[in-house]
Parts: sequence; structure tokens; C-alpha cells
Amino acid sequence: MISFFIKRLLLLIPVFLAVSVVIFMIVHLVPGDPIDNLVQINSTPEQKAALAAKYGLDKPLYQQYAIWLGKALSGDLGDAIILRRPVVDLIALNLPHSLALGALALAFSTLVGIGAGALAAIYKDSFIDRTTMTVILLGSTVPGFWLGLLLIMLFAVQLGWFPVSGARSWDALVLPVLTVGLGGVALVARVTRVAMMETARKDFVMMLHAKGVPPWQIELRHVLRHALLPVVTILSLRIGWILGGAVTVEFVFARPGLGSLLITSLNQRDYPVVQGSLLMLAIAVMLGTLLGDVVQAAMDPRVRERIK
Amino acid sequence: MRFTTKSLILSGSMFAAALAFGPDAAVWAQDATFVMPSDDVGAPSYDPIRGTKLNAATSLIYDRMVIQDADQSFHGQLATEWESSDDGLAWTFKLRPGVTFHDGEPFNAATIVWWVPQFEGTENAFMTAAIESVEVVDDLTVKFVMKNPDPNLLSNMASIFMGIPSPKAYDAMGADYGVTAAVGSGPFTLQSFTIGQETVLASNEAYAWASDLSENQGPPHIKTLTLREISETSTAFLELRTGGVDMLLSVPTDFLPQLEAEKSITVGTLPGTGIFYIPINTTVAPFTDIKVREAAALAVNQKEILDNLFGGIGSEANNFLISSLLAADVDPKLNISYNPDRSNMLLEEAGWTMGADGVREKDGTKLQVALWTQNGTEFKRVTEVVQAQLKAVGIGADITVFDSATINDQYRKGNEHQLAVRSYSWANADIIDWFFAGSRLGYPNVSMWNDPKAEELNKIAMTGSRTWEERVANFKAYHEYVLGQFVFAPIYQPVQSYAYSTDNITLPKTIRGTRIQSQTIVDITVN
Repeated sequence: MISFFIKRLLLLIPVFLAVSVVIFMIVHLVPGDPIDNLVQINSTPEQKAALAAKYGLDKPLYQQYAIWLGKALSGDLGDAIILRRPVVDLIALNLPHSLALGALALAFSTLVGIGAGALAAIYKDSFIDRTTMTVILLGSTVPGFWLGLLLIMLFAVQLGWFPVSGARSWDALVLPVLTVGLGGVALVARVTRVAMMETARKDFVMMLHAKGVPPWQIELRHVLRHALLPVVTILSLRIGWILGGAVTVEFVFARPGLGSLLITSLNQRDYPVVQGSLLMLAIAVMLGTLLGDVVQAAMDPRVRERIK
Repeated sequence: MRFTTKSLILSGSMFAAALAFGPDAAVWAQDATFVMPSDDVGAPSYDPIRGTKLNAATSLIYDRMVIQDADQSFHGQLATEWESSDDGLAWTFKLRPGVTFHDGEPFNAATIVWWVPQFEGTENAFMTAAIESVEVVDDLTVKFVMKNPDPNLLSNMASIFMGIPSPKAYDAMGADYGVTAAVGSGPFTLQSFTIGQETVLASNEAYAWASDLSENQGPPHIKTLTLREISETSTAFLELRTGGVDMLLSVPTDFLPQLEAEKSITVGTLPGTGIFYIPINTTVAPFTDIKVREAAALAVNQKEILDNLFGGIGSEANNFLISSLLAADVDPKLNISYNPDRSNMLLEEAGWTMGADGVREKDGTKLQVALWTQNGTEFKRVTEVVQAQLKAVGIGADITVFDSATINDQYRKGNEHQLAVRSYSWANADIIDWFFAGSRLGYPNVSMWNDPKAEELNKIAMTGSRTWEERVANFKAYHEYVLGQFVFAPIYQPVQSYAYSTDNITLPKTIRGTRIQSQTIVDITVN
């Protein structure tokens, strides 16, 4: 198991290097110039050129990349051009908010999604199945932006249970978590439902029925356990998405986070921040995938056997 | 402001106590929460010297030498009097006595001697570029020795980038200044600052040097002021509606009807500081022909856009400057106004005849042009109406929408754009230099205008004036020449709108200043 983990970890090194090149090139090849956001009306073209030199933007791209990567490997993501602070500090300020929102939303979508999917699978083709899946489908198709405003209207404006926006208290997290989490519920529920229905057709399940094991025990203890394998894969892939994918929700609820930092910086072409934020998200996706592989290996003896 | 039963009982008890112990006891902590303009979101620091983006709280932490009223007139804040020598090569400022910074340090002539050179090498260096040196006349009088006359000096001094920090705090904190702490002499002290989230300010109880633009000459009535950053206007509106905040310092025009429908919310407006306009690329056919440029400019129906898109809020723009600037007062004949008959006539004269499909043509070429705009609801809506208005005189326009960070690079290519819908926000006539000087072709000179006479007039306006009056006259001449060349089409002059809860706060009868800043906020009371 340890050698499997080390192998998977080593595989991430070339992936990391490739991702760093792609991130750097995309950010720099997109039209736009951070200096446009720095120069004041009345400043001269010479002052603009001096600013470009000050931030190293006058150097060839490959040189800029080498400098950035060299620093990044030692934990220095550079200084923000527009925000004028170390990128590491900006990420450290925003990451806890993204982690809190992402982790709670992931937990919410996992618990509710698995519960709903299991319910739909156990009562497949019944009224419960159809109702559960229809409600979940509707919930997942509502855009996060609009769902967020609907939840604000209901729970903050009409009922006054939660604040409209901000990140000043724990209750300000409830509506953003619901907004982000509801989008993931449908995915988890559908994967759980399909996986459980497929598992239910397997021979060992037939045998358990033939041996007279109570149906609820078969569904929850055996079928659901097997069906969780694809769910784990889906969840591990969602870790990166959930950290950076809550941009619109962060905007609606006026919350800090990596997503809003990324978008604000992208609009201003603040290259070091965009590069640093994207790199963090890429690392989150890579580590999420690694975690998914490890959990799968821990859960499934067949995976462990294949590793050997 | 949110009142709970507990807080109401407590307030009631305090009120009773105040009545019992006399009027002085009737002062208790009063808090308010405002939402900053969305343009201010993400300002990274409160360092006015090195900062390139500052937010609304800056004018509350720092005082400036002078500030401006809505009519652009100058009023003393840290300076009480000022005068320029006849040749414009010296400015003398008398400083206000008794002013101290939040850290207790005194404000005096030595502060100014330290402050002016700090701008050297920063992005804001142009503000003080004309100052050769600062001489101390006495403890409360300084003389600026100028390299060249700069009648715009007062305007620069009124900028929020000219907020004066405490030298001791500034030097001690180095690069961290403005991020972890900011020390000015303004009516509020900085308590906490979270980038992109909120700034908490506390009343400066020693404050006794407000300008004559404020009724309240003492400390602010608001004791703790939280300024929140909310990008999404719908969210800010709902916060105001539910009492989560007391005031929105800026409201987009399309939200005004919803706000006006709320009983406890009052909406107010201030004169605008910007213009929507269409730069015309003078180097690309058919706009190399001045007749076609004029025809396109006269096809824009400013009133229709004002009434139908902006509900009549704001005003038509007929030249390049906001109407409160003296250089905007050009010869009325040169103002650019909707005139479809002349537009059609000019196109006929230029040889463009109406085609069967409503688009004019000449020598087999259709009068079909590229019309660029940037993302954002207001830009898209204005651009669509302009497209229809151009079509009405036979000019077909294909709209392309760019994101705001990309579009400047596209302009720099120089020959791909023809028309564009843009806006600016700047309350000084030198904006004409920024957008039409021959040294900035592509961007910001999107019109690609490079004309010897315009350059000569530009040079006179920018550097050839000794006094403010001369500067106004020179910019007026430059402005009139640019207008006569039809290198742009003016569209709309927005107003600045704000909204507040009348249940929670009371604003002074007259809002002073070019926007809601310290001169007004010190007068606001919490109900």
C-alpha cells in the first residue's frame, strides 16, 4: 500500500510540471495587460514601460516562467502586481474560507446525495424513486447564482433566519453551503442509485437473498458498500472543483475565497495571483485524485490485489 | 443597523438616563454599516502614496490639503489658504493649526516637506512631478517651488491619492503600511481591514478640523462605521432592504426603480464624473472621411438613450467633458447633438447611397462597420441601441463584445476596430489629453487621432498655462478643436446614485463634494 502511494505520488511530479507550463502559458497568452490597471491617467508611456520592467514583464516568456517556477518550488509564488501583497499571503487569507465552504458543501452533498440515491435505488421505479430523482434533478439544474438569490429571498429576507451575505459569523455559511452543496447532491445521488442497482444484480447479492438475509441488511450493508466505490471516485474529483468552483456563490454571498480571488485577479490580469491560485487548485485536484485512489484501494481488496 | 429586543430595552434605558443627566449624556455609541461602490471592491491597501486603487474609506482616514465640492470648487481641508505666484512658479499654502494624526503626531510644515518627495518613483509620481522642492516658510506655511507652472496642482491635491499619512507611522511600517495599519488625520481611525470584505473605522474623537463643506465641525456622529465590499448589486440591495446595511454609496441606474419602490429607502443623486462615448477610429475607412465621422456622430440619439435606457436619470452628453467642468462650456455650435437629416445629407455627399437593405453602399462596398464594446449590461444595452440608431441612417454595424481586460489589447492593434462604446470616469479636462494625445495611439487613444494642430493645442493645454483660468481657456480651445474633427460621438452623462435607509440614518440636506466622502459622512447621524 505504501509503495502504491509513493508510486502515485511520483507520477504527480511530471503532471505538476506540465500543469505549471499550461497555467503559465494560458495566463500570459490571453490578451490583456496588468499594467493597464496600474497606470494612472496622466502617466506617460515611459512610466508604463518602467512598470513593466519593474515586474519583469519585459523579459521573454520562457525566462519569466523559469523565474516563477523556481520561486514556486521554494514556496514563493511572487508578489501580486495589482494587490501588492505576497501571493502566498493572499491565498492563505482566502483558502480557509474556500476550505470551510467546500468541505461543508462536500459533506452535505455526500450525505444527502448518498441517502437520496440509496432511497431511490431501494424503492426503484416507485413513486419515492421518481419524486426523489425529479426533485434532485430540478435542484441541480438551477444555476448557483439564481439558487443563491432564491435562498437569500426565502431564508434571509422573508424568514430572517440567516444573514444575507458576508463571512462574519457561522450562520453566514449556511446558505452558501446549501447553494454549493445542492449542485453536488444530484451527481452523487445519481451515481449512488445506478451503482446500487447494478450491484443489486450481482450473483453475491442473489445468494444473500437466497440465504434469507433481511433485504434492508443486504441493501445497506452489502449493496451500498459496493456501490460507494464509484461515488468515492466522483467525490475525489470534486475536491478541486469545489474549492475553485464556488465563484458565483462567493460573489452572490459577498464571501472571500479562492474562486473570487481568481476571478478578480483574472479580470485585472494580475498574473502572479492567477498563476498561484490556479496552481493551488491544480494541486487540490491532483491530491484529491490521489486521495480517491488511496481510499478506493483501502475499500476494495480487488484494487489492492491489482496493485500487488 | 439591526435592533433586537435587548438592544431596544438597553437603548431605552440609556435614553432615560440621558434625559435625567442632561444633554451631554445623550451621546452613546452609534454604529452604521455602508456598502462601498462596486468599483472600490478589492482595493488592496490604504497607502495613498504607493496605492493605485483606493476605496471610499480612504477619504475618512486621511485629510487632504484641499477638497472639492460637487461644482468642482476647491475648499481648504488641511490648508486654510493658498496662492500662486504670477508666473506660476511658486505656490504658498497656509496650514491648519492644531491638527494631529491618529498616532498623536503633529501636522505641520515639516510633514509637507517629508510628504511630497515620497511620491518619487511611485505610480503616482505625476501628481507631484511639477514640484521642484518644498520650502518651510514657518511652522504652518510651506512654499512649493515649481519646475514649471502647474495650474492643475490644486486638482491633484484634492485627489484621494493625496491623503497625507503620519510620517512616523509611514516610515516605521515600510511596505506593510496601509495593509496592517493606516494613520492619517481624518475623521475616522482604521480599526480593521480585510481585503475584499470590509473595513471597520472608529470615530476620531479628537477631530475638530472639518472643512467648510461639513456642518459638523467636530468628531463624526457615527462612532463605528463598517464599510463592506459587495460586488453583487442584488445582494447589496437585499442587505439594505433587510437592514443588514444602512447605506449603499453607489447604485447602478437600473436598480433605482426597485429601490425607489421601498418605503424606508431614499435614493439620492450627485452629479456624475464620467461620460459614455463612441471613439471613432480615424485611420480606418470609411472614418478617414470626416463627413462619415460627423454623420456617425450625428446619428446617435442621446435623448432616446437617456430616456429609454436610463429612465431619464442623468443627462445627454454633447461633448467630451462632464458638464461641471468649465472647459465643457464650449461654443454651443460645436456640441454634437442628434441630427439625422444632416447625418443622411453628409453620407450622400460622401458618396454613400442607400441600398435596398437599408445599408448604404459606395462603389460596391457596403457601409458596414465594426462596433466594439465590453462586457457589462449597461455597455451591451447602449451598444445595441447605438447599432439601431446607426442603421437608421444607413450605417450597418456588427457588434463584438470583449471582456474589459482584453479589449485594450485589441485596440492596440490599431486597425481592427472602427467604432466602440466606452466610458470614462474623471473630473478633469486633461482627460482629453489621455484619450486623444498622439503619443498614446491604440489605447487609450482609441480614435487613433494624431493631428499636428491637435498636438499643438494639447501641448499648450497641458504645459503652457500659468493660471487656472489660462488652463481652462487652453483646454476649452483644445476641446473645441477635437469636437470639430468628430473623432468621437458623445452619448450619455450618468449621475452618481446612492441609497440609504431613512429608518436608520439621516443625511445632511445638501450633499457636498464630488461623491459621498468625508465632507458628507461626518454629518450623517444614526437615528
